Amino acid sequence: MSNVKIKSKNLNVYYGDKQALFDVNLDLNEKEVTALIGPSGCGKSTFIRCINRMNDVIDICKVTGNIEMDGMNINDKDLDVVSLRERVGMVFQKPNPFPKSIYDNISYGPKIHGKGETKNELDQIVENSLKKSALWEEVKDRLDEPGTSLSGGQQQRLCIARAISVNPEVILMDEPCSALDPIATAKIEELIDELKKTYTIVIVTHSMAQAVRVSQKTGFFHLGKLIEVGKTEKIFKNPDNKMTQDYITGRFG
Amino acid sequence: MSNEHTVKSYEEELQFLKDSLIKMGSLTESQLSDAMDAVIKVDKDSIDKIIKSDEEINKFRSKIDTQIMNLLVKRAPMAIDLRETISSLKISQDLERIGDLSKSNAKKVKPLPLDLPDELLGNLKRLGELVMKQLNDVLDSYVNKNFDKAKEVWEKDEQVDDLTYIAMESVIDFLSKDKKNLDFSTHLIFATKNLERAGDHITNIAETVCYLVKGEYLKGSRPKGKVIQE
Repeated sequence: MSNVKIKSKNLNVYYGDKQALFDVNLDLNEKEVTALIGPSGCGKSTFIRCINRMNDVIDICKVTGNIEMDGMNINDKDLDVVSLRERVGMVFQKPNPFPKSIYDNISYGPKIHGKGETKNELDQIVENSLKKSALWEEVKDRLDEPGTSLSGGQQQRLCIARAISVNPEVILMDEPCSALDPIATAKIEELIDELKKTYTIVIVTHSMAQAVRVSQKTGFFHLGKLIEVGKTEKIFKNPDNKMTQDYITGRFG
Repeated sequence: MSNEHTVKSYEEELQFLKDSLIKMGSLTESQLSDAMDAVIKVDKDSIDKIIKSDEEINKFRSKIDTQIMNLLVKRAPMAIDLRETISSLKISQDLERIGDLSKSNAKKVKPLPLDLPDELLGNLKRLGELVMKQLNDVLDSYVNKNFDKAKEVWEKDEQVDDLTYIAMESVIDFLSKDKKNLDFSTHLIFATKNLERAGDHITNIAETVCYLVKGEYLKGSRPKGKVIQE
């Protein structure tokens, strides 16, 4: 039985008057991949943005209820958000490398978090991060080239390398493959499989097949509510809830 | 009842698959019934027709295979659709095997003498009727997605085993009375055994229907009747 890394209890999110999440109770297991699925606007991204307090940047956003990581209250107003985000990395739908060299893309995070004091240490972090994100072999001879000169799939792996460079515990992925071709997607999925040995991963995806391939646990959201959560295999072979079944089989009206 | 798919052609493809399987099922039923009649009435004229209908069943099988492969590739079915697709694959395999066994029984008619005593064929007839009823019930359970009915068929296979035993015994009795009966008696023994094996395929279908409806396999082992040592 896996340990629970992130635990949400009666989590509610409001954007102004509009409620985006309703009493979400969801446990994410350590070193496991949890996939979140559901139609656009159902609250999956809102949920993962609660984990690294990304919603803080939206003025009208209000979060109530409880969300914890290893028992620590993520919503605590005294919590140092920067150190939270050091522990919880994020990868977005569109690869968004900094307009800097490949090397600087990776070394930037460790530098501002005070990791890698010397050039040697930074070199090591860059190499390790690129190796972990399966990009090292492709870029080792051109680390000073701009990150944006890479292909889409490579850029996304660069963003993953950037996320893991500060040695986080959790990686949030918001549709990380939706802008990638099938080969680049396969590489990211292969990478996720490898990364889950070290990190707790949450992935938001619109591809059912991808959810089945990469995750051990799946949660289905609809209109801000977590409708069903369970083992991925169970959800896609024999879900308990009719709404889940209608969604994954393409019967949503 | 589930809602319809957003993609209409997906809905149609699944319906087409179900329809094909039902047609294949009813063809298998008539073939099994015809083969049974041919044995009981020692009707040698119908042999060719039964062999021919097996070709039809095989054609259905490959047609269904193609439909399933297309569905898997085009739609990557999930949940109930996945179970529907995989179940169709398994059921069509079992139906095809039942068809083969019926064909084999039809071929057994050729060497049979026309004046077989009624008491010899009586038990075989009862067995054939039971297997027919089982096939009919299991196909009904598939069409109506009826878990209880499928489970009933699964449990009733015990009776098929028992009747097989009785039918075998009567053939062996007959055989032991006069050695010159040996020739065709062995054919009758094979025909009996074929019916029992058809019964086993029917229980496979029943298990598949249970899985299709509830998403989990039946637990425990099927009740078994008397069996002749092989």
